[in-house]
Amino acid sequence: MIKKELIAKLKVIIKPYTTNNEAYDNLTEDTDFINDLNINSANLVDIVLDIEETFDVVIDNTDMERMLDVKTSVEIIESKLAAK
Amino acid sequence: MIGNDVVDIIQSRKEGNWQREGFIQKIFTHKEKLLITQATEPEIMVWLLWSMKEAAYKIYNRQTKIREYIPKKLQCTLLSQNHDYTLGQVLCLENIYYTKTILNKDEIYTIAVSNLHDFDQVVEIEKKDITKDKHGIPYLKSDIFQDVSVSNHGRFEKVVTLNY
Repeated sequence: MIKKELIAKLKVIIKPYTTNNEAYDNLTEDTDFINDLNINSANLVDIVLDIEETFDVVIDNTDMERMLDVKTSVEIIESKLAAK
Repeated sequence: MIGNDVVDIIQSRKEGNWQREGFIQKIFTHKEKLLITQATEPEIMVWLLWSMKEAAYKIYNRQTKIREYIPKKLQCTLLSQNHDYTLGQVLCLENIYYTKTILNKDEIYTIAVSNLHDFDQVVEIEKKDITKDKHGIPYLKSDIFQDVSVSNHGRFEKVVTLNY
């Protein structure tokens, strides 16, 4: 899966948890889930669970610890997909 | 040091479903899961433990400047419960934090301190003159830079500092 496609899928996942629409519309790899998108920290778990379902991968706790922004999430998803 | 976290139960129901598969598994330790399943109101226990973790994390973050998402590494123990509040302890690696949680209808509010005696120094203040350092950690701008913790959720907002 090319990165652009992956980010597009991730964007769909995070939409329901986002409360800052402007930051969402201008989402880049540097976008931070909490600081920029105002996502509630309890919903980060939902994002991780949604990623697991959408991409059919398993995100362990060590990976989850770093999943605070788009860039890191994309890296983790890419590495999980490559390992399949 | 101080950290706080408020949960609006009504808001939490709008934002997600704690009963969805995998949710509890990713956040809570084995011991915490037992507390949840044995609770008369599991939903309240979920958010009580969650707010303990969040409040303690705010101190951990201030101490270490490390930003990470580690709900399972913040291990909660309940020490005592009465009508007014729940006292608890949160372990995170080698650090110990003490928590006091107040349940009030749809509001769950936890204050965490790194030193037990600090509970007596906690004061609630207005949200003003607050600045953040490069790590995103909030301070109160007065004569000296004072630690401050801010929490917002749904209908509630809480700002606290320690008054020495």
